[in-house]
Amino acid sequence: MTTRKSSGKPRAAKPAVKAKAKAKTTGKAKTRVAAKATRKASAPKAKATKLDLELELPPPAAVAAAEPIVEQPAAAPVAAIEDFVVDDDTELAVVQSDAELANLFIAEALDHLGTIEAKLLELDERPEDTSLLNDIFRPFHTVKGNASALGIVSVERVAHKVENLLDLARSGRIQVGETEVDLVLRAVDVLSLMINDVGQRLAGQPRKATGAEAVTLVQQVEYLITGQLEAGPAVAAPVTETPAIETPVIETPEPAAVAAPDPGEEPALEHDRRGATPSRRRDDVPMLAATATAIKVDTRKLDNIVDVVGELIVVQSLIAQDPALSALVDGRLARNMAQLRRLTADLQRNSMALRMVPIRQAFQKVARVVRDQSRKAGKPIDLVITGEDTELDRKMVEEITDPLMHMARNSVDHGIEPPDAREASGKPARATVSLSAYYQGSHVIIEVKDDGAGLNTQRILESARRKGLIAPDANPAPEDIHRLIFEPGFSTAAKVTEVSGRGVGMDVVRRNIESLRGRVDIRTEYGQGTTFLVRLPLTLAVLDGLLVRVGSERCVLPAAAVRESLRPKPEQVHFVQGQPRMIQVRESVLPLVSLGSVLGMSCEALDPSAATVVVVEEGGSRIGLVVEELLHKQEVVVKSLGDSFSAVRGVAGGAILGDGRIGLILDPHGIVTMVRDGSRRAA
Amino acid sequence: MSTATTGRFQREELVGKYLTFALGNEEYSVPVLKVREIIKIMDITAVPQVPEYVKGVVNLRGKVIPVVDLRLKFGFPAADYTERTCIIVVEVALSTGARMMGIIVDHVSEVLNVTTEEIEQTPQFGDEIQTDYMKGIAKVRGHVKILLDLDRVLGVDGTIAMPQPSAA
Repeated sequence: MTTRKSSGKPRAAKPAVKAKAKAKTTGKAKTRVAAKATRKASAPKAKATKLDLELELPPPAAVAAAEPIVEQPAAAPVAAIEDFVVDDDTELAVVQSDAELANLFIAEALDHLGTIEAKLLELDERPEDTSLLNDIFRPFHTVKGNASALGIVSVERVAHKVENLLDLARSGRIQVGETEVDLVLRAVDVLSLMINDVGQRLAGQPRKATGAEAVTLVQQVEYLITGQLEAGPAVAAPVTETPAIETPVIETPEPAAVAAPDPGEEPALEHDRRGATPSRRRDDVPMLAATATAIKVDTRKLDNIVDVVGELIVVQSLIAQDPALSALVDGRLARNMAQLRRLTADLQRNSMALRMVPIRQAFQKVARVVRDQSRKAGKPIDLVITGEDTELDRKMVEEITDPLMHMARNSVDHGIEPPDAREASGKPARATVSLSAYYQGSHVIIEVKDDGAGLNTQRILESARRKGLIAPDANPAPEDIHRLIFEPGFSTAAKVTEVSGRGVGMDVVRRNIESLRGRVDIRTEYGQGTTFLVRLPLTLAVLDGLLVRVGSERCVLPAAAVRESLRPKPEQVHFVQGQPRMIQVRESVLPLVSLGSVLGMSCEALDPSAATVVVVEEGGSRIGLVVEELLHKQEVVVKSLGDSFSAVRGVAGGAILGDGRIGLILDPHGIVTMVRDGSRRAA
Repeated sequence: MSTATTGRFQREELVGKYLTFALGNEEYSVPVLKVREIIKIMDITAVPQVPEYVKGVVNLRGKVIPVVDLRLKFGFPAADYTERTCIIVVEVALSTGARMMGIIVDHVSEVLNVTTEEIEQTPQFGDEIQTDYMKGIAKVRGHVKILLDLDRVLGVDGTIAMPQPSAA
């Protein structure tokens, strides 16, 4: 924490002096002076000398004139736009001839950039950990090397410049602070854009104008390098006597945005520790053999394995239940069949596990959002991440990233109070956002928790009444009130959002999570913070289903949506225009429809009191579905019906049932919507 | 008939091996390279809200594939499925990529090698007959075989659901 504050402060001064380049330079120079000074104070003597030799230390007199020295590189044209805009596609000549190679490069590079981003965020937390610099440098070097080998000049040039910066940082000649981390993060963004663009260009899309961004970036990198190298040693000698404790205080104007209370808090200790750590300490640590333990596989190949294994299970059970076979009474056969069953089940479990990846990649993106957003909003935040190794389906990880980012952004923007307000209410000025994932049965729970202001129940209730989301005289339980923030009408209006304290689009978050067959809950305490609990199935590939018969077909209803099933007594069914249209379940009256007729399947009209009614709940509304028969509960493997049936409503996919036939998996959301639309049309 | 093309296609493009099959008394054919396999008619799971000719989906070794009854698609009267009724599993190129689909035919006949000389231009039938899914015709040993353009038969974008489902 201390490290963060001391390095955070100078940076926070930046916006204030941004208007004038000169002023900025001054600020920066001073900052570095301070940093260098404290570091030098305790750095090994040998190292200082080495630096001196290499950098031709200016006479101490130059200290006073630190300004002009630093300004000079900014004036010099360090990077011309031409260097980064290769107009024709000559740089793509190599990759164009080999699409596979190109895709490999792109996938690998983006992978590396992801790693780099994660490590940068760690570095932001622990700038003193120089091993992190190595972890960042290596993949960067690889990206550069690959780009260069393939002749993708623009990427190589940008990567090269940033690598220079990293190399200097690695060898301890540049001090790493937030500015540096920010810059390299930006470099990661720019490079990701450029590399994605390579893919787009290969696919025949026009080139995006990434050149200007690249040039700005490179200029900033060069500026930073020159600035640090010249400013650093320039003051190194004279300030060795300066008490380290003073430096952060005198050099920087107190920033209003980022509250760093207690500025004098033991910086000396911190710097001592840092100084005592030789920066090359872990240079010789052998590279982790991460690449050797993992291979990249096309997901289609995985899907094929899962498909075939699924069939194997079906065939295995068909054989096991074959009457001819069960007529044989043979101990050895029975043993072998049991063994076969165990092995196929094992194979299925393993093949399912192939699709599972740690949630880390989603958390990483959230971490980045929190970091950026906290800087932007001027709210210092500690992000605590736990359980990033929790594994779930790869597709889930991809799909949950956006909702998580949205929730985290909301927490930072609206949940967490400004530092002064926090202090006023007796909380630490630094807020904490925690992100955690853990297993619970066959589900994964993801928590996004903040220690901010919490939801204001009364205000939500008031605005919900104003918006007409609930009846004026309704008095729902607090939990139900909090859930109102997920209502579409609630959060879209900016004014309501303001009072509610939560941002736009929570309804989208809920919808996205529900489309993953998950649910989101809120726990909040006014003044203490809010926790979003996201509950997701481990995989979208397997579904807990309830098999029902409709006409001659068997359909699968997701068990999560089924509230109950009943054989209604005649007096429970209410008729409208001669048709059974409503059913009374305890005190509530629900719309009643025949599943077959909603879907538009051919089947005869059913007398509900002679059939089974399944009560399905979706998005808060419940309906009764008449089915011919309730068969049993079964875990099914979910398959897509393909694009051909994308316009079919009420059907989510297909499941291969025990006998090898396909049962349609129903989409409760679609069915409820269809019923609602249907009655609206009829009205 | 002396032109080098048969409408949209060069004759040379149409030369090759074809799998021929029967619908009623007519002979149709599809390029052998498009055929993945031929299976006996099996239980088909009906999918709601689709045109009548889309019979539903089947499980082909763990893959869900749509099945189209070509008789109904081409306006023949429906016929009971027999021992000889087959599902030809073909690969169709759609705008969204290659897809496997099953087509139900009365029976499969043979594999033919069609030469340049045997290919004829698709005649103009007037408005009543749709010809855009015909690549051309081949006259082989006195019999006319219609060369099907499967990518068109099964819809350009592959969406076979009706645009306006009849809900509730």
